[in-house]
Amino acid sequence: MASSDARLVRECRVPAASSALRAVRRHAEAAALDFGFGRRERYAFVFAVNEAATNAIRHGRPDARGTIGMRFDAEGDTLVCSISDSGCFNLAYDGEIGPMAESGRGFRLMSELTDQVELSSTPCGTTVRLHKRRPVETSSAGG
Amino acid sequence: MGSFYLSDHVLDGEVRVIRVGGYVDFDVAPRLKQFIVNRIEAGDRRIVIDLSDVGFMDSTAIGVLVGVLKRLGEVGGFLAVACANDNVRGIFEVVGLESVIPLHGCRENALAAVA
Repeated sequence: MASSDARLVRECRVPAASSALRAVRRHAEAAALDFGFGRRERYAFVFAVNEAATNAIRHGRPDARGTIGMRFDAEGDTLVCSISDSGCFNLAYDGEIGPMAESGRGFRLMSELTDQVELSSTPCGTTVRLHKRRPVETSSAGG
Repeated sequence: MGSFYLSDHVLDGEVRVIRVGGYVDFDVAPRLKQFIVNRIEAGDRRIVIDLSDVGFMDSTAIGVLVGVLKRLGEVGGFLAVACANDNVRGIFEVVGLESVIPLHGCRENALAAVA
């Protein structure tokens, strides 16, 4: 649920196919640029969005048109990306995987690269919301 | 950084150098995996994966590298990864793999590690 001061930055749907991940990153990059993130924040944000979309494509279910949803909201000093699919989240995740596991690192990366990860799932669909705050500016006026 | 690409060659008749470039995500990770697994199955035991031209590498690609490390370990082989991109290296650190995947700052150091 978006907060009362939320401003929709961008909303779109992309095919639920791995070939759409490039478009996913383009949308995330554009939203992050519009929001004013610097290069470091943009990389982290785009990476996390790519992971969430990958999960939706791999483990979720597309809508009747074969797509998943992407939405970007500016909520105060935070950019929020919502990735939605039509499946019910049932992926077992206990927060710990072994160092030699070949998968299962997506949520950890999302959590480390953003400030908050919300997961909501109903029989109608699953949404992952990634919150990334604008960094606090330092007082130095370096170039 | 452009589109994903793969190329390889053998150095000194012994070390397989696999150069990866572009964006490595869930869309292309299966191709990366198959490419390397084919070389291991063909008998390569000393492999350097050069990520110098990789601008983005997601968790599925990292999983591929972990799988390669395991497969090479099972057959007594050696893996070294050259990666100078701080963003890409940072992802390995986020998931605690910087001491698991043998990362090197340049290709020369990676080559020396498997020699």
